[in-house]
Amino acid sequence: MSYGFTERLQDRRNATGAAILVAVALVAAPFLLGGYQVNLLAETLCFVLFATAFNLLYGYTGLLSFGHAMFVAIAGYAVALTVTDLSPMLGVAGTFGGAAPLATWFLALVVGVVAATLLAVFIGFLSVRLEEIYFAIITLSFSMAIYVIVLQDTVGSLLGQEITNGSDGLTFIMGFVELFGWEFRLVDILNPLAYYFLTLVVVSIAMFTLWRITRSPFGMICLAIRENPERVESLGINVRFHRWITFIISGAFSGLAGALLIPLYTNVNPQYAYWTFSARPVIMTVIGGPYAFLGPAIGAFTYEYLRWFIRQFPALEANWQISLGLLLLVVVLFFNNGVAGGVNRFRAWIGVAVNRYHKGGVRGVVSLVRETIMKYVRLVWTTLRGGARSLMRRVGIGS
Amino acid sequence: MPANDSPAEGGVEITQSRAVDRRTFLAAAGTGATVGLAGCLGGGGGEGVRIGGVYLLSGLAEALGAGSAAAAEVAVDAINEEGGINGNDVEIEIRDHGDNPQRQMRSLVQEFGADVMIGLTSSGVTLNSGPTIEQLRVPFTLTDIGTPYITEPDTETYGDYYEDNGTAAGLPNLFRTNSNTSHMTYAIARFIQENYADTGTLSIANMGPSYAYGEQTWEYVQAYMDGLGVDYEVVASEFPELGATDMTPQINSVISADPDLLFTSFWAGDTVTFVSQAAEQGLFDQVDDVFDTIGADPTNFEALGDTMPEGLHFSGWYWPGAYGTEADQNFIDLYQSTYEDDSEVLAYPTFTGGSTWAAVQIYKDAIEAAGGTNPDDVISEMEGYTYEDDPRGSVTLDAETHQATASCVIGESSFDADVPYDGAGQVNTQTYTLDRETSLELLDGSGLPPGL
Repeated sequence: MSYGFTERLQDRRNATGAAILVAVALVAAPFLLGGYQVNLLAETLCFVLFATAFNLLYGYTGLLSFGHAMFVAIAGYAVALTVTDLSPMLGVAGTFGGAAPLATWFLALVVGVVAATLLAVFIGFLSVRLEEIYFAIITLSFSMAIYVIVLQDTVGSLLGQEITNGSDGLTFIMGFVELFGWEFRLVDILNPLAYYFLTLVVVSIAMFTLWRITRSPFGMICLAIRENPERVESLGINVRFHRWITFIISGAFSGLAGALLIPLYTNVNPQYAYWTFSARPVIMTVIGGPYAFLGPAIGAFTYEYLRWFIRQFPALEANWQISLGLLLLVVVLFFNNGVAGGVNRFRAWIGVAVNRYHKGGVRGVVSLVRETIMKYVRLVWTTLRGGARSLMRRVGIGS
Repeated sequence: MPANDSPAEGGVEITQSRAVDRRTFLAAAGTGATVGLAGCLGGGGGEGVRIGGVYLLSGLAEALGAGSAAAAEVAVDAINEEGGINGNDVEIEIRDHGDNPQRQMRSLVQEFGADVMIGLTSSGVTLNSGPTIEQLRVPFTLTDIGTPYITEPDTETYGDYYEDNGTAAGLPNLFRTNSNTSHMTYAIARFIQENYADTGTLSIANMGPSYAYGEQTWEYVQAYMDGLGVDYEVVASEFPELGATDMTPQINSVISADPDLLFTSFWAGDTVTFVSQAAEQGLFDQVDDVFDTIGADPTNFEALGDTMPEGLHFSGWYWPGAYGTEADQNFIDLYQSTYEDDSEVLAYPTFTGGSTWAAVQIYKDAIEAAGGTNPDDVISEMEGYTYEDDPRGSVTLDAETHQATASCVIGESSFDADVPYDGAGQVNTQTYTLDRETSLELLDGSGLPPGL
């Protein structure tokens, strides 16, 4: 055991090394992994951003949005329409030559984020007047309204032309990039190496920006609003306005995640505005832990790779909702603050175990394991006994 | 999660977030380890031939996808029984569409190592998967898909589906063994022309699921009736939600419009819902005839039991015993002996049985002719290939469109049919085929692609 291992393990501030390791792993991963895994990793990165953007509103500001899918959908449609209509109309191919798909992609990203931001400005203005379950319901209602609008192509029928293509949605291809004698697909579905790095760069920048926001005075006020909105109001801060701005930021970054994700899927359809898609960032955040900045990111990784694991077994895959639901149940019941909290608790336990090892050797660790198990057994036992007693009292037995 | 568990002050938050970085590392390391393991497991290859399949195996269309999967398994067993392909065993893995069908396809090709693919239970999913299927490069045969767009290669006339919002979505490595919506709606239009057109102007109503398939079949059947010169007027058109539990408002609206004929495009669970509720409302006593594009399926008839009215004309891509071929009898026997003791699969081929059996058998012939599983070689063997032993009679995969010259079958619902379950079957079955020239002529002016 190297010197100060316990201390360093328990010290939460020494994280530079870990950050560098993660960065190296993410850069090296696509060269070591097969195409399928690179695709999965790129997708997971998009969800990391989506869940973190969602959590700015949930974990930080205390507003549970159940309609964040609408930002992904609106950005997705904006991206699809930019690629198929706007880019040819502007003559991007003529201006940029071989780099045209890259230029189109960048344009699509900007248009997607702008569309999501505008939507967030409007819907946020109306939604932040409400709190708690009412806020969840109104965001859900708005996203379902968007779902119906794209499904029935309301805008298209008003303008007299097809825009969203109903239930089938829009399928598009990003095309080939020819740059400095290289020719490659911008989004190669089989091995999206190029697109993975574009995603990695954009997600990293966006995550850093979100991190800065949460560490700024603005983020502090968000936390204060979550804890005690009346107190914040009495300090002279316009709580509603602050929530509105947070909603817009959250929506804009969710839109960015959507604008990155949809080209990877090569298709956008009304399902991306459906409430089940809104549940994704919620589940990821709850799994990962909403009260840590990287909680949703860990949740996104856990969710996506657990889903991948379930897919490997046809028996589990046939009932994947149940498999995933059971996991969620375990996390909510036994982990304090999601996987992030669970890992934290485990790390504290390891610290204690190392101390015991120094004092009592292997026997010390064994006794700690025994104590831990006994602690949980006792916990379960008292809970069960308490439950049984109160049940008996209610039905009138043994009183 | 109670809010007071969380750090209320910013300072605590900072330390916590930094701590998480290490956790991310742990997560990443764990991921890396799993991924490395997967790399060893995946890849496939080896000696045998691997077939991947993706069908809807859960929810509304479970019975439909499960029927196709069952037929594919029977075909694979039959091939392995006779020594496999080029002496190698055939392995098949069939998965549910799940929450991301394109990912299932990639997983089957990239992880399981599928050499060829069959599948799909949704036209929408099929069209959306175009870029994925094309980039996967392996031959992909559709066995259950209606939309004509996916086998229409003429992008000049109809516009590219993926680039100019057109309707031609033909792909170089995609084939189809079932007859498509173009065939089905032509057959029904033809049946109407032959049996009802001499009674003056027909009043016709439409009912179908509220999504692309329901809308498309209705467009096509009208275009074919126009092409065939049927004199008709539309008195009602209703689209209940896909998977609706209550269709009575739409059924009542059709009843009050009082049509001579009713055209429907329900399938799987929707057919059962529609027929049982329409029977309750007395719809079938009021109209002369009711048609359905792909509702003629043993699973539906069994589920409906004696609720199914007699004398309706439902159609399908295949009906067991409608062809009088030895190959069909052979297929039915094999299917029945495989599933006679199965509690989940009805021991009688469903309406996708013929096309699914054919898809697997055509792969066998093509891979043997190509001398291996190289995708390009297999595809060029498949183009223009004629499969003589198809249960539905000999079929040819068109070299240009990749659509099989398959027939579709219209029958009359009846309890006199010889079926191994309690419920109605089809009698007086008639098969219809259609070629591209005729279709082009009939659809002229509608802007709809023939897709065959």
